[in-house]
Amino acid sequence: MTTLLHPGPAPTPRQLILNGIFAENPVFRLALSLCPAVAVTTSVLNGLLLGVAVLAVQVLSSVTVTLVRGLIHPRVRIPVYTIIIAVWVSAIDMALAAFFPALYAQVGLYVKLIVAFAIIISRLEVFASRQPLVPSFFDGLGMGLGFLLALLAIGAFRELLGSGSFAGHAIAPGKPLLFLTLPAGGFFSIAILMAFFNWIEARARRGREGSAPAPRAAAGGTHGV
Amino acid sequence: MKPVSREVVRIAASMTVACAAGAAILGVVYVATDRYREASALRTEREAVATMLGIDSTTTVVEVRQYLEPARREVIYRAAPFGVPGAEGREVVFGLDGALVGAHALPAGEPVAKTLEPLGRVFVAIRDGRAAGFVVEGEARGYKNFIRFFVALRGDFEVAGVRVIQHEEDPGLGAEVATGWFDGQYVGRSAEEVARLEVTRDPMPEDWRAALVALSRRAPGSGAVHDSLLARERAKPIYAVTGATISSRAVTDGVRVTVEHFRRRWALLAPHLGGMA
Repeated sequence: MTTLLHPGPAPTPRQLILNGIFAENPVFRLALSLCPAVAVTTSVLNGLLLGVAVLAVQVLSSVTVTLVRGLIHPRVRIPVYTIIIAVWVSAIDMALAAFFPALYAQVGLYVKLIVAFAIIISRLEVFASRQPLVPSFFDGLGMGLGFLLALLAIGAFRELLGSGSFAGHAIAPGKPLLFLTLPAGGFFSIAILMAFFNWIEARARRGREGSAPAPRAAAGGTHGV
Repeated sequence: MKPVSREVVRIAASMTVACAAGAAILGVVYVATDRYREASALRTEREAVATMLGIDSTTTVVEVRQYLEPARREVIYRAAPFGVPGAEGREVVFGLDGALVGAHALPAGEPVAKTLEPLGRVFVAIRDGRAAGFVVEGEARGYKNFIRFFVALRGDFEVAGVRVIQHEEDPGLGAEVATGWFDGQYVGRSAEEVARLEVTRDPMPEDWRAALVALSRRAPGSGAVHDSLLARERAKPIYAVTGATISSRAVTDGVRVTVEHFRRRWALLAPHLGGMA
């Protein structure tokens, strides 16, 4: 799926984090977990809250899988990964309900859905189950940050153009493009931002033409919620 | 043992260990957080009761908890001043047929026996020595899980407000039943009207929706607009949330049953609460 997995010098933490944010951004590059990316990003705040929760679950699950993978029977590794994710999600769910009830009232329903996010289990299978602890931690961090920033970008785009506000504060009079807050508008927003992402990368690639070939976009593969 | 079956045993053991470890971790987290979750849920409830009853300095609130004693086939009501720790309460006991078994004072801090099954709670606002309003706790089976709600009633049992306290309906669909504009539809309907309340999938008239949104935001003048439109709408059914008829019907049926049961119980209970109501 990526050049990082090929034998060679081990990737640095910085490379791993940037990989999650740009080269293999979960939403704009891998096109994984698009369903929640559409469902919750009607505002910046919703995107931020879910993004932080996904970041926490991704890092914790990646680290857990790296630590216990020797004990997992390879034939049932996927169910065990799911259990690991479910345990972390439930623990975070209970902690949020206990200590941040106001926050939980807003994101509680979405937090439970993280169990089924394709991006998390795919990083466990592709990366954390094969790599040492420290790279797995930074891969999880990079992927979580990539997802968080993508949700923030989509949320800002939709809230700004759809509701004419930013983080709940009205900026424009009225609602410029109310359509964008609807689910269909979510897909359009992601497509527009993805095209923008591609354009930036194409320009950057032209800038360093002749140097090392840039990693190929890895969109496609396993799709899921 | 054949190699294949040994493999199966190893796989089963691996899964079992993983599940057991996960369950153990969740158990620890649950025990560590449950206390705080309950405390914060209680705070939310107190705020809801206070705002729905419009509590001011002239109002006191009595909390009445209802229990079932299965062995003796009795229904037990325990009333105590709400939010006043250490205050004396009152216990009233009925048989299942509604006949009074006994009523007596209840010392503060009297523990609830483990055999008692909680049936529900009512908060009674007392103003000038009379019951001026009620907040009744209700529960309805929603799309996935139970929906818990409070129904606020005036002294004459007209609905003063409905608020969904806890639910797990889908965001953007069933979760809309927890919004002010949906719950505002019940406000102002008499107990007799609530008893006949039905749900329709017809689209909600735009002026009615605008009035309900304004009312839920407590916009100035929204009460008068709501009252004038209510004259037209009170004979009509509740408009379901688009795409969430099941959740809308659940709340409506829940409100109807809760109000009906409460009226019957209050008629029985009120004469025996002594000085409390």
